[in-house]
Amino acid sequence: MNIVFTIMTLASLVMLIVVSPESAFSIMISGASSALKLAFTLVAIYAIWLSVLSLMEGIGLNRMLNNLFRPITKRLFKGESDLALEYITLNFSANLLGMGGAATPLGIKAMECMQDGSERATDNMILFMVINSTSIQLLPATIIGLRSSAGSNSPSDIILPSLIATVISTVTGVALAKLLSCLSKKEKKKEDEKTIPKQPLYLDGKIKVGVAKK
Amino acid sequence: MSKYILPAFIGIIILWAFIKRVPVYDSFVKGSKESISLILSVFPYICAVLIAVELFSLSGLNAYLAKIMSPVLSFLGMPPELSEILIIRPLSGNGSLALLEGIYENYGVDSYVARCASVIVGASETVFYVGSVYFSTTKVKKLRYAIPISLVACYVGAVASCVLCRFI
Repeated sequence: MNIVFTIMTLASLVMLIVVSPESAFSIMISGASSALKLAFTLVAIYAIWLSVLSLMEGIGLNRMLNNLFRPITKRLFKGESDLALEYITLNFSANLLGMGGAATPLGIKAMECMQDGSERATDNMILFMVINSTSIQLLPATIIGLRSSAGSNSPSDIILPSLIATVISTVTGVALAKLLSCLSKKEKKKEDEKTIPKQPLYLDGKIKVGVAKK
Repeated sequence: MSKYILPAFIGIIILWAFIKRVPVYDSFVKGSKESISLILSVFPYICAVLIAVELFSLSGLNAYLAKIMSPVLSFLGMPPELSEILIIRPLSGNGSLALLEGIYENYGVDSYVARCASVIVGASETVFYVGSVYFSTTKVKKLRYAIPISLVACYVGAVASCVLCRFI
């Protein structure tokens, strides 16, 4: 993110200095203030969905849904806790139904459960992010709404191609994520093998030094 | 039909909770409280992302990159008019919806270009937003290969969208 962010802002600023330097600062402020507006909307949406979520937890609906989808989620996200799988299932259900506002807080909770305390994202976290960012929505309701308000003859024409395109992008994403996670695991193994024989030697040296001093 | 789903869903949950003697009011208080702490950790990320996105789209860099990308799109068999929306899609949801409306106006809602654009926007997500917000409460700083893969997957989906729109 750091690299992308730096390149994007720097290149845009350079462009703005050439084209219209006086507008640069106001553009940055308008970006920040639209974030503030978005935050106000989001806090309202989160409040409702987190409330519904806590009701669902109370009912035990979360566990029921989890049991239903466990065979799939457990295979995709190997070695995750039940709680993480529960949030993953709920996040996917919300996404499938097109409830983006509900999906985000659930996704954040799932990520919290999956983190291992290090600064590097785990393979499962990456897989989860990839699935979320390729969209698994069954019915693109917003787009259909936009199309009908723009006067389309058949606004729902795009449902089938959208569904197929979503499946294609999600499958591609999952396959790539799994492939890269395998590759990085192999590399890690190789690195471990390289470092293991060195360690005893190092220890040897230390011990010898210690003995010599005595 | 779909307008009934949401209120019915929430209504059923509340009724079910009432029957199971789950405290409904307390749950709503708890959820609202949680939402404030959640937004406090999410806000810095969306703020930074939106500053960059606003700069990127209003500086003209977006349009400039779109121009460079058009020949690549034609090579892939996609309409070159889509280049701008393809660049903005992973960055900003609102931005891509605005561009989509522009395409509807300029080319007609039921044109091939407009249908392609609709499918592309409908079948992808704002990758950078997901990447920054989802990790916002974790300690993770290095996303490793998460963003490149998400982008590749989304663009494979976009190419597929254009092919699909030709036949369906």
